[in-house]
Amino acid sequence: MLRLSFNSLQARLLVLVLGLAAVVWLSAAALIWRDARHELDELLDGHLAQAAALLVVQQAAHHDDDKVADAPALHKYAPRVIFQVFHEDQLVQRSTQAGAAPMSAVERGFSTVRLADGSEWRVFATQGAEHDVQVFVGEQIASRSAILRAVLRSVLLPLLLALPLLALAGWVAVQRGLLPLRHLSEVLGQRRPEALEPVVLEDLPAEMQPLVAALNGLLGRIERMLESERRFTADAAHELRTPIAAIRAQAQVALGADEAQRQHALQTTLAGCDRATHLVEQLLTLARLEAVPAGAADIVDLAELARRVLAELAPGALARQQQLELDVAAPCRVTGSELLLGVLLRNLVDNALRYSPDGATVLVSVALEKDGPVLRVEDSGAGMTAPEMARLGERFYRVPGHAQPGSGLGWSIVRRIAQVCGARVVTASSARLGGLAVSVHWAGRGEREV
Amino acid sequence: MRILLAEDDPMLGDGLRAGLRQLGFQVDWVRDGEAAERELASGVYAAGVLDLGLPRKDGMDVLQALRARRVTTPVLVLTARDAVPDRIRGLDLGADDYVVKPVDLHELGARLRSLVRRAHGQVQDSLRCGGVLLEPAARQVSLNGEAVALSPREFDLLHALMRSAGRVMSREQLEEQLYSWGHEVESNTIEVHIHHLRRKLQPDLIQTVRGVGYAVLRDPEAA
Repeated sequence: MLRLSFNSLQARLLVLVLGLAAVVWLSAAALIWRDARHELDELLDGHLAQAAALLVVQQAAHHDDDKVADAPALHKYAPRVIFQVFHEDQLVQRSTQAGAAPMSAVERGFSTVRLADGSEWRVFATQGAEHDVQVFVGEQIASRSAILRAVLRSVLLPLLLALPLLALAGWVAVQRGLLPLRHLSEVLGQRRPEALEPVVLEDLPAEMQPLVAALNGLLGRIERMLESERRFTADAAHELRTPIAAIRAQAQVALGADEAQRQHALQTTLAGCDRATHLVEQLLTLARLEAVPAGAADIVDLAELARRVLAELAPGALARQQQLELDVAAPCRVTGSELLLGVLLRNLVDNALRYSPDGATVLVSVALEKDGPVLRVEDSGAGMTAPEMARLGERFYRVPGHAQPGSGLGWSIVRRIAQVCGARVVTASSARLGGLAVSVHWAGRGEREV
Repeated sequence: MRILLAEDDPMLGDGLRAGLRQLGFQVDWVRDGEAAERELASGVYAAGVLDLGLPRKDGMDVLQALRARRVTTPVLVLTARDAVPDRIRGLDLGADDYVVKPVDLHELGARLRSLVRRAHGQVQDSLRCGGVLLEPAARQVSLNGEAVALSPREFDLLHALMRSAGRVMSREQLEEQLYSWGHEVESNTIEVHIHHLRRKLQPDLIQTVRGVGYAVLRDPEAA
């Protein structure tokens, strides 16, 4: 319960404020004590000296009177102030409470003595001009302390009384001060769960502005993420439904058509099935990739990998009279997942073949350049404009004007794999072939063959 | 009935065109939004089938532009976007029907016929004039209860005339409604078909307005 209450800002503020107030007040009291004691000592010592001087003068005037005179007690403080007057070592005057022996061994100036009854006294001693008169004036130290205590009491008592009042005032102040915070939590509490628009509060205190700004930033990011997911779902629906709709339409056409039309419709139906299969596979690959953590760390020989992937894809290229070439100088090792890099390369080469015309050339090269290993796929196709390149990797984005069916997911897959394998993808125009050049760079991560 | 199909996917477009042709529609196929807007605005089509995700101009924009230009041709939106806000937006922008892919071809045909019918203020699918009854869905015509065999062109011509019963249609208008792209029209084809129709059905069914065109009179009983 205590811990809980200290978790509250209110309790924390209150304890801090009251604690600090008490410390400040006590320090002030200590200062006052010191000052007051000093002033009091000076003042009372001054009185002692004055009284002693008076007695000396008086004794000088009546030094013939040898009888001891006791001064009457005239004030309730009188018992606390005593004096003795000696003339030629003979006690001649004293106050009622004073003893017969000299109060102090010190004959001139101030001293502090303890008398036979245990009480402590401040004593001022002085002598007459001819040293025949010795005067002692003493004051009980306890009486000085009583005055100091009274002073201290008058300082500390208000504090004791004020502390509960201060606590109450502090509680109210903190309560009011934290009102915007409570208001914010109410506003947040009343929101619909799907509401992602920024929180707008009027008269927001400066201290809360960073908090609300950070909150709005978070809401914005969530909204963008949700929006991206919504768009993905809509796009996925479109991409999945279209081949299915095509298959359905073609199948229905086949049912009601003459022989020649039926053949065409059935062929198209099969092509539609292939397309849907490809799309589903790409979607699944992408979904699996989302879950792969970055930093897979096999050692993969790009040259060997490229040889294998190109061997797989060559038959399709040959069927369209496309030249598929591999340019590898030496083995070139990089870190990454062999399986994933295979998918990446297959997607890149497949894209290059798919979007280049019949008879085009696709060149795959693996090289160790000065800033690291590079895997490059170039084609002699139509290439791409800068805005088209910028939109690559948006899921389901397809460069317009292509009759070739594609899922529009290949780029997302390539990007994600590169990210997982610590590489980066750069698109440019191919200097050698004039079409698109896609290169995958590993920054200084390569291992030279030894 | 001449229909404009706007669909950018080659496989689906090919299937829809073939399927609708089987159902007796004349189908022209465009693959982008700008072409779709241009063709639908020409007014020669009885209805349009519009995909929304078209290159160059989105289907929704096409629809909005058409309705802003007061083009009243019925438009059926055929799309993969099935979210309710999309449907609402499509219908509010002026779509006459909203169908989510994939769709059954026969249903698509029926919906198109229904759109065209409603555009002409008809309640029933079948059209009647005197003793002649035309049933578009079955593509059948009967005279006094007996089926009459018509060629597809003859049927389409009669359908076009009966759909616009009471209005005179020029030869050009009839040709536009009958022939999709790639079909050459010979100069006297319409006259030949009219002649056949008069012979097979009733001589006075189709009236000639000299120098203007042809008309089927409104059915006196229907009024």
